[in-house]
Amino acid sequence: MTALLDLTGLGKRYGTVDALHDVGMTVAAGTVHCVLGENGAGKSTLCNLVGGGIRPSTGEMTLRGTAYSPGSPADALSRGVAMVHQHFSLVPTMTVRENLLLSGRGLRPDVQTLRARLDRIADEFGLRVDDARARVAELPVGARQKVEIVKALLPDPDLVLLDEPTAVLDGAEIDALIGTCQAVAASGRAVVLVTHKLGEVSRVADTATVLRDGTVAGSGRLSEVSVGQLLSLMLGRDTDAAGGPTVLDPVAAAGVGLAARRPIRDRVEVGPTAMTARGLTVTRPDGNRVLDGAGLDLRAGEITGIAGVEGNGQTELVRVLSGALRPDAGEVHIGDHPITTAPPARRTALGLGVVPEDRHHEAMVGDMSIAENLYLADLGRFRRHGFLRRGALDQAAAGVIREFAVRAPGPRTPMRALSGGNQQKVVLARELAVDGLKVLVAAQPTRGLDVGAVGQVLTRLREAADRGIAVLVVSSEVAELLALCDRILVGYRGRLLGPVDATAPTAAAEIGALMAGTTA
Amino acid sequence: MNTTDLRRAAFHPATVAAGAVVVAVLVGLVLAALAGAAPGTAVAALTEGMVGTPYAIGKSLNAAAVLMLVAAGFVLAYRAGLVNVGGEGQLCAGGIAAAAVGTTLPDGTPTAVALPAVVLAATTAGFAWAGIAAALRAWRGTSEIITTLLLNFVALAVLSLTVHEPSLLRQPVTSSETLPQSAPLVAGAHLPSLGLSRSPATIAILVAVAAVVAVGVLFRATPTGLRLTALGHAPEAAARLGVPVARTRFLALSSAGGFSGAAGGLLVATAPFVLAEGFSSGFGFSGLVVGLLARGSMTALGAVALLLGFLVSGGINLQLVAGVPATAVSIVESLIILLIAGSAWWAATRRAAARPAPAAETSAPELIGATR
Repeated sequence: MTALLDLTGLGKRYGTVDALHDVGMTVAAGTVHCVLGENGAGKSTLCNLVGGGIRPSTGEMTLRGTAYSPGSPADALSRGVAMVHQHFSLVPTMTVRENLLLSGRGLRPDVQTLRARLDRIADEFGLRVDDARARVAELPVGARQKVEIVKALLPDPDLVLLDEPTAVLDGAEIDALIGTCQAVAASGRAVVLVTHKLGEVSRVADTATVLRDGTVAGSGRLSEVSVGQLLSLMLGRDTDAAGGPTVLDPVAAAGVGLAARRPIRDRVEVGPTAMTARGLTVTRPDGNRVLDGAGLDLRAGEITGIAGVEGNGQTELVRVLSGALRPDAGEVHIGDHPITTAPPARRTALGLGVVPEDRHHEAMVGDMSIAENLYLADLGRFRRHGFLRRGALDQAAAGVIREFAVRAPGPRTPMRALSGGNQQKVVLARELAVDGLKVLVAAQPTRGLDVGAVGQVLTRLREAADRGIAVLVVSSEVAELLALCDRILVGYRGRLLGPVDATAPTAAAEIGALMAGTTA
Repeated sequence: MNTTDLRRAAFHPATVAAGAVVVAVLVGLVLAALAGAAPGTAVAALTEGMVGTPYAIGKSLNAAAVLMLVAAGFVLAYRAGLVNVGGEGQLCAGGIAAAAVGTTLPDGTPTAVALPAVVLAATTAGFAWAGIAAALRAWRGTSEIITTLLLNFVALAVLSLTVHEPSLLRQPVTSSETLPQSAPLVAGAHLPSLGLSRSPATIAILVAVAAVVAVGVLFRATPTGLRLTALGHAPEAAARLGVPVARTRFLALSSAGGFSGAAGGLLVATAPFVLAEGFSSGFGFSGLVVGLLARGSMTALGAVALLLGFLVSGGINLQLVAGVPATAVSIVESLIILLIAGSAWWAATRRAAARPAPAAETSAPELIGATR
């Protein structure tokens, strides 16, 4: 095996902060190399350094034995390094083919060459673009990801960087992606896969490098290092390396896609119904009926999960419940109060907390501080003579930051500067603090979060249910739902199927069948 | 002061604005030289017109006051994510209302009654005029950039009609030489002088500074300011957190109109105390420019307004004394804008280069169901 990419003493400083320091890593041709680490550990920075997005402050990179210091992503690409970003970089209003032609050179897009190249990629890696004339905006997430990878493979790179590619994919799509990675590696190229999901790492990686706090915490061949050891390296604490993953906290394990289901909540006393929805119907302007008579009951003290392949109406359901979207038909009640058309403020007053799916747009204001984000809905508490008592506001926020272990310099830090996990802690802290909280709706609450944060978020949701709050969790991670919920509904074509008792031994199979639409 | 502080000071909006002005004035001098005026003469004429006489200073201050008011309103709406291009029209609406009230009041009305009545009428008119666009934006989603811009032309036409039509505000026509303008306002509605000798400066500048400070305090230290900022940055999150999106948008844009309307009222209440076509002299647009250039800093807003105010009156003198076309000053003004905008862009790209590439995010879709 020859070293394709070699990093020595690589570091990146932003002002006084070391985002990355003294990183050494060797990627061999023909392998899949995983870069592991919690959010904020420096994974994306490392990826961007190699991909030419940013320049290192210290250290050296060599590619095939010659010095490599890309000044731009295009520069990196010309040296044979392609990158697939965490957030999609396709133009949604254009077709797949147009998007793929964008990366070409010259004035006239060369459709013939593209077609030939796509055939080659399909033969070599089993990656087929189904409909090149479909608009990207109409494609499901998994298909978009595929286009993204095809786009990266078009110029025939030696090294493909994938930054958190599985965060938005469901089980089958992840399987397909893993197959692709293996095919690319088998062709003599190398794949660098950045992730925090150990479950995937153990399936696909040949070698792994674990980053923690901006530096290499450990690395090795997967044949020599156990997954349990990798996890303790990632978290920086001894999770019982000897016993391996079986004795991990089941919730944390579910967060990294590891352990099998284990009921972690004793059957709690289920109280009266706190929230009901009946016959919810939402039709999009394009005529697509995304919700088709969905209904559910949320009972005090119970955690209800909604599983399902994305795009089966879960997103719209949460938006209807939170008041961001008005249904065409159907009713929503909190207790006895009808809230189908009530504004969010009224719902909050009735005791509804919501952790929205789209954190950056719906849950927080990135350019405002942690303190402001925590108390924006409750500023009356900090008003005196019409003025805001900044001191009191910051003090209250500092308390929350401590209580929820938010990693941030202080209450005035802008939300934008926090890692995803810490942002989510702030959002959750705010929603759990809603006065007279009765119902908590959390949509994809652990998406894109690191292991530690996943564990914390799930623990908080569990505690909320123990306090007698009705909790609804929408997630595409079935393992997580099985570990957390009491009963699970499955979103399928705008309806909610089930419920499945999460403690039943056949729950996983039942959910799988419902998701695939093979029963019901 | 270490280098970081120095750099921060160098990138403060006020410093950038000042630098841009210096460069632009140098270019202006070259232009003046091309027009045949020796640099010495041009500089002398310009400074004479800007700060040479108490009269010039007073004129400049009055102009700066109007610019500040319009700009303060612009910033208020801008922070809430709305762009008010309708300053000129709102100014006209304010002027018309001020003239209507100021010429109808009985002659002996004391200042304590007449002046507040005139300014209040002007503010209300500006608020209502902007309210048309604001309501369309808030509850119908119509782009406020388009509506406020177009309403300018409607307001200018209404102004023209008002001062030409004897049954409206035109002064009694006594001869063929009667100008198409309103009768003068009653003495009580005249804006008091600042009390400087031989200076036309009025208390308008005090009103304007108070307004600028008020807007600054609103955003820095009040819950309302925070809600407006949240709405501007992330409308969906603001809606989620209980900000009544539509109503807040309506009030923010209408209030911006109120500020411009008040500015129009102050213009009419300043000598020669009449409403005439063209009384707004483009202050509505210049005020918008001031608001944009200040980039959120209220200090910079005051500074830029003063600079533009002084430049305008300096330019008039430049034409009178040195024979340089006043358009040279317009060119200088445009250069200032380009330079400040350019430096802002430069600073932003430098910052971006010094930071990891921000994650690409799709823009927020329009709010559905947030109309209330």
